[in-house]
Amino acid sequence: MSHGGSDKCEPNFTPLLDLVLQLVMFFMLCANFVMDQTNVEIKLPSAIAAKALESTVDYAIYLNVNEQGKVILTASDQFTDTEGKVTDTLDNAEQVRIFLVRRAKEDLAAAGPAGKDKPPRSVIVLRVHKECSFEKTYAIMKACRQAGYLKVQLRAIRHSGAE
Amino acid sequence: MLRHDRKRQGTDFVEPDLPITPMLDMSFQLLAFFIMTFKPAPTEGQIALTLPKEEGGQNISIPSPTDENKPKHYIVTVAAADNGTIEKMTIAEEGAADPKGKDLGASVANYHAELAALSAQLAREGKPGKLTLRIGDKLIQEYVVQLVDQGIRAGFNDISPVPIDPKKV
Repeated sequence: MSHGGSDKCEPNFTPLLDLVLQLVMFFMLCANFVMDQTNVEIKLPSAIAAKALESTVDYAIYLNVNEQGKVILTASDQFTDTEGKVTDTLDNAEQVRIFLVRRAKEDLAAAGPAGKDKPPRSVIVLRVHKECSFEKTYAIMKACRQAGYLKVQLRAIRHSGAE
Repeated sequence: MLRHDRKRQGTDFVEPDLPITPMLDMSFQLLAFFIMTFKPAPTEGQIALTLPKEEGGQNISIPSPTDENKPKHYIVTVAAADNGTIEKMTIAEEGAADPKGKDLGASVANYHAELAALSAQLAREGKPGKLTLRIGDKLIQEYVVQLVDQGIRAGFNDISPVPIDPKKV
């Protein structure tokens, strides 16, 4: 923005604008990184041994379990109960089992002949509220097992151990 | 607002000019919005767990004396207090003469120290280890994860949490 021959003094805003737009882009991208599978109401316990989800895991089912032991489904999931009522929460272990059996069937169908006689390809990620009792957590884990899933991953906040 | 003369005096040169100032104003507003709404999510990680084989029961089998590679199976029983904290812990090896096992109290540090000692012993013997946590119903998830975390850090990779009374669940 040079003005040859002009006696006007003008600040150069272009680098400033570049910087500001880069910052805007950074914050926009960070805002998009908040995953829709997670639920902010769930306060997770912390663990040092918690590891990042393996890159080989392509399919994951997120179950957000609140303090009362109810599963809050993600935005992309819905549950239709036996009476045809559509809900976004699973209130008991039986509903969790029915939901996961349906998902397991979808998994097996999507896997095709190669997935026959194998457990469902999805990994179940349990995001359990830190105040939820083991009785309720275990009922959900049992429902996972009954639906054919062999392994679950418990979510926790990773920390280094240094206080 | 900056003002630019599109046509300069004494010359035919016309400089194209893009008004940057409104764009900068808008960018600052966007920036302020994203800064104010920015809430970095805490880094989450996973702990892999093996679900028990039998429905609602413990994955306990009678050890075969001929099977050298069979993992040594330790069972930690965790009694929970009414407020969801750890009341008492005991540890025993599967098939041991004393079914009550060793009392660890309510201290997670004792639990970790015991597991670390057992893990070191297993490493010397070249045997894998397996840990089953028999957990009281009322124990809250924070302590469950803490026990699994300490177990992994002590060197046990195969950890299964099960209830003390599987028929109740």
